Amino acid sequence: MTRPGTLPIIEFHDLTVAYGGRPVLWNVDLTIDEPCLFGVIGPNGAGKSTLLKSALGLVPVVGGSVRFFGSPLNRVRGRVGYVPQRETVDWDFPVSVTDVVLMGTFPRLGWFRRPGRKERVLAAECLERVGMNQYAHRQIGRLSGGQQQRVFLARALAQQADVYLLDEPLAGVDVRSQENIFRVLSELRDAGKLVVIVHHDLRTAAEWFDRVALIDRRLVATGKTDTVLTPENLRTTYSGHLEVLDALGQAVATGARTP
Amino acid sequence: MTSDAWALHGWSMATAATVSASCALVGTFLVVRRMSLLGDAIAHAVLPGIVVGVLAGGSLGGPLVMLGAVGAALVTVWLTQMLRAGVGLAEDAGAGVVFTTLFALGVVIVSLAASRIDLDPDCVLFGVLELAAFDLVSVGGILVPRSLVTAASVFILVGFMLAATWRMQVFTAFDIDAAKAVGLPVGSITTALLAATAAATVVGFEAVGSVLVVSMLVVPAAAAELLVRRMHHVAAVAIFIAVVSACTGWLAAWTLDTSAAGMIAVMLGGWYALAVCCAPEDGLVARTVARIALAWRVACEDSLARIWRAQEATGRSTVSLPAPRSILERAALGWLRATGCVEATAGGVRLSPMAARDAEIVVRSHRLWEAWLGRHADLPLDHLHPPAEWIEHHLGITMRQQIADEMAHNEADPHGREIPPEAG
Amino acid sequence: MSGGLPYNTIVVLGGVAAIGFASGVVGSLSVLRKRPLVGDAAAHATLAGVALAFLVTGRRDIPTLALGAFLSAVAGLVTLVGIRRYTRTREDAATAIVIGVSFGIGVALLAGITTRGLPGAAGLGTFLLGHAAALTASDAILLAVMSLGALLAVTCLFKEFVVVAFDADYAAATGWPVSAIDVILVTLVAVMVVVGLPAAGAVLVTALVVIPPVAARQWTERVSTMLVLAGVFGLLAAVVGVLGSAAVPRLATGPLVVLAAAAICGVSFLVAPARGLLMRRRHPP
Repeated sequence: MTRPGTLPIIEFHDLTVAYGGRPVLWNVDLTIDEPCLFGVIGPNGAGKSTLLKSALGLVPVVGGSVRFFGSPLNRVRGRVGYVPQRETVDWDFPVSVTDVVLMGTFPRLGWFRRPGRKERVLAAECLERVGMNQYAHRQIGRLSGGQQQRVFLARALAQQADVYLLDEPLAGVDVRSQENIFRVLSELRDAGKLVVIVHHDLRTAAEWFDRVALIDRRLVATGKTDTVLTPENLRTTYSGHLEVLDALGQAVATGARTP
Repeated sequence: MTSDAWALHGWSMATAATVSASCALVGTFLVVRRMSLLGDAIAHAVLPGIVVGVLAGGSLGGPLVMLGAVGAALVTVWLTQMLRAGVGLAEDAGAGVVFTTLFALGVVIVSLAASRIDLDPDCVLFGVLELAAFDLVSVGGILVPRSLVTAASVFILVGFMLAATWRMQVFTAFDIDAAKAVGLPVGSITTALLAATAAATVVGFEAVGSVLVVSMLVVPAAAAELLVRRMHHVAAVAIFIAVVSACTGWLAAWTLDTSAAGMIAVMLGGWYALAVCCAPEDGLVARTVARIALAWRVACEDSLARIWRAQEATGRSTVSLPAPRSILERAALGWLRATGCVEATAGGVRLSPMAARDAEIVVRSHRLWEAWLGRHADLPLDHLHPPAEWIEHHLGITMRQQIADEMAHNEADPHGREIPPEAG
Repeated sequence: MSGGLPYNTIVVLGGVAAIGFASGVVGSLSVLRKRPLVGDAAAHATLAGVALAFLVTGRRDIPTLALGAFLSAVAGLVTLVGIRRYTRTREDAATAIVIGVSFGIGVALLAGITTRGLPGAAGLGTFLLGHAAALTASDAILLAVMSLGALLAVTCLFKEFVVVAFDADYAAATGWPVSAIDVILVTLVAVMVVVGLPAAGAVLVTALVVIPPVAARQWTERVSTMLVLAGVFGLLAAVVGVLGSAAVPRLATGPLVVLAAAAICGVSFLVAPARGLLMRRRHPP
């Protein structure tokens, strides 16, 4: 369904990811070619975060490839923004909200240069977009979960990217922050950006996303939300028995045949 | 060598070995519980405890000094935990702050009180194993080094304590949360382990000094862990490595005229390096061999399968030899021909009956996997071949049966090709 | 009072001050990166390098020994990384193994040199616990220059170190070469450890890199302030330690530097505003 003459925004081609020799994502083939709110849905441990991280080069890929706008990520990093899961960060780190948002401007600055007035103005604008400008000088540990998430989003906005990848941005976040975040993401979509979100909650997925991909260690189905989130697909994803993949993963890791 | 010399070496090695064994035994639990750095901290921090004990009139290896050491160990742990709770300091940074401070304190006291006590900074850093054979006491009429008596007592006590609490210690080591949930007195178990560590480091301190005790605590168990899996095996192998290193280290030091403490640590390092290289499953050698073996199997199976597919495509049993795609495949084809799996005839090659059965298994696995993927994953038709190329070498007979059971009878693969049956 | 001190002493004190300051600053980045004890592994490994440098060249001037120390520190760190990457051994055990075995190699070499009574070997032992009084003015200037070089590197790469320490995944995702930046930081730590050897000794120099940052963290919520404060604390600890060791010649310098740093740290834990333990009772959060 690619529009003729344009490159897909993200293209996963036969992507297989393994940890310690054991495959956790098998042969994922997924193309996203339009700006939209794209949800990645699946049970816990299905490899949703892994999918995102492999696109960003954070986990080792043992087969296949991921391309952004037809190129490998290294050539177009400036166009891809990232909001990681909150758990990965040490909230006791001595940085303020503004310091964190400024980190989004670092790639454009390049080596050695310090952020200057232009970057600070941009950071302030991004903070205002997520409604956190009055906390600009607060140390990040002194924020609620939802506020922290909004700061992370502001950091990604400061990258001024064309694609945004978010890993469970709404987990453990209060309702007001959820609404705020969702509003900002919709604005991005309306402005022609692709927003890919790993999401944990099926109920809201049906309301919020234009398109989804169902993942359970492999791609089960993808497409427009209402056509993909059928009872049968959901059953396959959420209660599919995958001893086959478990046994195969073990066999591949040890170089043998399964029993 | 004269009998005196043997006695000298014998007693020294016995002392070193006993000390080493105690440390290795305690160290097994420290390593598994990720408390190696805490062990390092205690090894340094017992110094002020020892010094205070000696100043209070105790002798090195006596109960007063032991008490001082255990007290210092517990203070270290308490301070580290208090720093974590009070100011949010991570465990390793907190341990680093505490043990360097306590060690520095100990060294300063030793230097200032040098005239009053029998310790000096060199002893603190290198130990006095070389003097062990000269400080003898009478035990049942035999003259035995005092430090050996102390070391043996510690080994027996520590061994006893650990043996008595073995199951609880092991359970806590592997899964502390589950142990707490089940109601085990995790705090007391840990305290007992730390007290044992303190005792072992005191005798270790006397033998090899504060800094090298950490190698006796951690290295034997770390090496043993790479070789065996079960806790009592790890402990046994660790003690073995420790004893051998102690004896060879002592002899090497005597031969090379250098510090016994240093050479014991060097020997321990050698054992660790050996374990890294030669461990049965995880060792570097084993892993390289496994990788080569897999690549060889894949090359042989791929070659057989290619011939089989050519036979299927042309309908003839004799086909032309496929061109090898790599050096490994070239070697594999050579091997297959040499062993008669691939028979050369006029007009080409063909498969022996046994080789044909093997090839069928590979092709069957390939097509079954394509069928499974086609059914369970959203993949376009032309993307099924590469995953199957990979998985065809990893499907075993039970799994093939399981996948086949899912499919309708005589169903073909997604490309419409017939799936070869399982060999009779 | 300054009119009464000889030139040599002033230069050595200045050098030690520079070393202390730079150690605090570089150590802060290491502590923020959650790898406070990598300096300990490097420090214990330096001993073997010092001994080997002496054996190979027969010289015991500071530049030669410092080079040997740096090379063996790097070797120790490479081993540490190798263990983490290629074996099942846990990270804390790997650090302890490198500390213990590398120090054992150093001790074996050093003792071998001493027992053979090689000319010039006397005094190598001061590298264990530090003996700043043995520093010449030119040595002190060399070490100070190296410290300033490390500070320059920190200034140039400040934002890179901070973004990697705060959120390595995000840094990698946005294109920063996290491994390379980590290597640079660890190299700087190795440099500071080598530079601090004459003052604090191999066994205790790690304290100069760990304790001042921990103390500084209690006083501020901003990274740049933390680095400067850690530098100041390191400077104070180093200077006090050296002066104390000069006053009481029996005492090696290292332990006194550590105790001075620990005293600053203890005070910080108790009375630093907002985080200090005593302050919290008076002004509950």
